Amino acid sequence: MQPKFTDNELIEQTLAGNQWAYADLVKRHQRFVFTLAMRFAKNREDAEEIAQDCFVKTHRSLSSFQGGSKFSTWLYSIVYTTAMSFLRKKRIDTDSIEDEGVYIQVENKPSAYDENDVERKSRSYHLNQAIAQLLPDDATIITLFYKGELSLEEIAQTMGIETNTVKVKLFRARQRLKERLERNLKHEAKELI
Amino acid sequence: MNSIEEKLWNYIDGNCTPEDQQAIARLIEHDDLYKRKYAELLSFNAEFANMELDEPSMAFTYNVMEQIRAEQAAKPLKAIVDQRIVRGIAAFFLVTISVLLLVALSTVNWSAGGAVRWEIPQIQVPDPSNPFMQGFLFFDLILGLYLFDAWLRRKKIAGSM
Repeated sequence: MQPKFTDNELIEQTLAGNQWAYADLVKRHQRFVFTLAMRFAKNREDAEEIAQDCFVKTHRSLSSFQGGSKFSTWLYSIVYTTAMSFLRKKRIDTDSIEDEGVYIQVENKPSAYDENDVERKSRSYHLNQAIAQLLPDDATIITLFYKGELSLEEIAQTMGIETNTVKVKLFRARQRLKERLERNLKHEAKELI
Repeated sequence: MNSIEEKLWNYIDGNCTPEDQQAIARLIEHDDLYKRKYAELLSFNAEFANMELDEPSMAFTYNVMEQIRAEQAAKPLKAIVDQRIVRGIAAFFLVTISVLLLVALSTVNWSAGGAVRWEIPQIQVPDPSNPFMQGFLFFDLILGLYLFDAWLRRKKIAGSM
């Protein structure tokens, strides 16, 4: 179903003083912004804090949005910079997939399972687990590419890097995600045996 | 040179030149390794595209809007006042002063020259021995000491913070 208003129309309404329009804009983008924040924060409370902060910042500087690019690209660049400064501030442990600490954490999860467990451990569950084990930058690129429906140029704009760098980073991120997913599934299979 | 996977990902994303596109399509058709890898990457690609987005709490939008409302309420008056109004008032006073100055200058009799005498106005200083005057000065002194004391206290508190 087509949304009643486009993002730019909602921005115009917000700037004219209609706060419901901004609430609509938040509702429209909150899931993606929250998911992006989760790629950095790794826990829901911090991710909500980042996501809320992004929407407040966006509202504050809405009048400076020129409309030259998509609103989503502009919003995601705010999410990216906010999340990066959050990481710097909180000094969250940004474990890479090479860091065995993360792997151990996954391995130490209770191995006992019941019917619900089996259901929960679907491929989608494993995919989310694998993404959570990636570096924030890798997870962000994958999320922006597959769920943000952004082109390589738009991802470059969002992350403030060159398009060619995005291409290379996306390739590497996909490789790592694939390896991590295979490793997790192999481990799962062993656990079931 | 690009690895097989890199070439295939570029092919899947549609990021290669038409010539490369054709060459890779031929390889997928005739080369078993390419065919197998392509099928594998396609299945991963489909899986990645099916990733689910996380859902924030139910009160998320409400919390954002509340934060914005609180921020707007806390804005100092200086930030809320429209700068155009301030500039308008300033312009009004500037124009009024300029007009008054021009009118005053135009009415000056410039030919009078040195005939005009400038005198300091005579001020009648009240007699300090007057009891009313003494009371007034005493009140001023007390008020001055009170304000000085308040200023020193504020300075001391600011210094200790």
